[in-house]
Amino acid sequence: MDFPENLRYTKTHEWIAVQGNKGRVGVTAYAQQEISDVVFVELPKKDQVVQQVKTAAVVESVKAAFDIYAPVSGKITDTNKTLESNPGLINQSPYGDGWMFELELSNVGEVNSLLTVQQYKDLVQQTPKH
Amino acid sequence: MSMTLETEPRKLPLHEEHLQKGARMGDFGGWLVPLFYTSIMGEHTAVRTKAGLFDISHMGELLVEGPGAIEYLEANLPRRIAPLKFHQAIYMPLVNDRGGMVDDIIVYRMAENRFLIIVNAGNIQKDFEWFAGRAPEDVIVTDLSESMGLLALQGPLSREILTEAFGAYYRDLKRFYYLDFEGGIITRTGYTGEDGYEIMVPMSKLRAVWEVLFRVGGKKGLVPVGFGARDTLRLEAAMPLYGHELNDTLTPLEADLEWALDLTKERFPGSEVLKGQKRSGILKKRIGFEMIERGIPRQDFEVRKNGRPVGKVTSGSFIPTTGKNIGMAYVETGEAAVGNVLEVMIRDRAVQAAIVSLPFYKRKV
Repeated sequence: MDFPENLRYTKTHEWIAVQGNKGRVGVTAYAQQEISDVVFVELPKKDQVVQQVKTAAVVESVKAAFDIYAPVSGKITDTNKTLESNPGLINQSPYGDGWMFELELSNVGEVNSLLTVQQYKDLVQQTPKH
Repeated sequence: MSMTLETEPRKLPLHEEHLQKGARMGDFGGWLVPLFYTSIMGEHTAVRTKAGLFDISHMGELLVEGPGAIEYLEANLPRRIAPLKFHQAIYMPLVNDRGGMVDDIIVYRMAENRFLIIVNAGNIQKDFEWFAGRAPEDVIVTDLSESMGLLALQGPLSREILTEAFGAYYRDLKRFYYLDFEGGIITRTGYTGEDGYEIMVPMSKLRAVWEVLFRVGGKKGLVPVGFGARDTLRLEAAMPLYGHELNDTLTPLEADLEWALDLTKERFPGSEVLKGQKRSGILKKRIGFEMIERGIPRQDFEVRKNGRPVGKVTSGSFIPTTGKNIGMAYVETGEAAVGNVLEVMIRDRAVQAAIVSLPFYKRKV
């Protein structure tokens, strides 16, 4: 499973690509596999203020809804509207065309609390499988 | 992303076979069952277009037998049992004294005074007590659930696969009839809205049946199907699921199951309540709806009309065949007409939906 080096991760399986005080957010390859076929996405609104570890978006599979948490606090600057008509992009390209929203970080220091790629890989490996 | 964790559910007898086929396992009413093997959408489509095999061994089987069996079932079930031919089956709700539904069941007549009853997994103990508690001395109720396994072969190619696997003897089996098979039975029934069969055999023979069906069916497109697609298939066919559309307090009339009752019968548990409802009308009713605006309805979401609460969603999902978001709900009878536009409350937002006629899907015969 692919976990890009240049991203930071959350224990709840979101990723964020940070550049300065801007960030782009999506869910990890592990998350999309666990969710399975994504059939519905509810995105935050532009200019909406989101808080670290609070729900910012919702992804639904056939069976269930999953809350997507903001990895860091900030203000939403853009969302990937393509997902509304093509939610399967999250499965096909979780780090690329399946990105979910972009935000302006209100506290860049929060990035330090996120997992590195190695920490995230360890977390995924420790997660029990049925 | 948040997920819930389960606590030690029971394993199915073919647990290892499911893992071998790549199943993602999950909890269903205390059982660890395959949710899907490849994808819910792919498995749903396979059953609609080719064939799928389900392991539903979690379900319960009760045997009711003894010299008084026919009289006893006539007195306690809401449909007539005496006209059933040997090898014939019939679907019905099991009704309590208040008119609520204990379960929904299929009754198979195996002999003059011997009946097999297939019950929902979550209701085995409750149903056993219901039957045993009412049985006179000359009727014995036995729970076979631990010793019998159940597979469902469903889809347009299921007849072809079944006869190639087990012989032409089964070719002309009619819907809601069964034939003997390997210490069990093969019945032409199902829970998908497609043609198909359910195969009940002793647990010791279950693996061999599973393997031979894939050996024969694999090249025709038979795939294993998990509980995810089982739910979307039955929902699309508008079949009620106990714990969602049916429970101990809802009545069969409210559930739109009057067709599965015989209200001309003089007396059975709950008959007075049901006949009263038939005379004076029901206050709420099971309906089907389709989302007009974006959103997926889920169980327990509130249904409103112009902001006023009028009901509750019992099941809802995205449906692979049509790409639509649909659901079933109970709503006030006055708001239950086809075409009525209602609001489903999804995460504190009112999302428009329209009532449609059921079923959502009907196979072309």
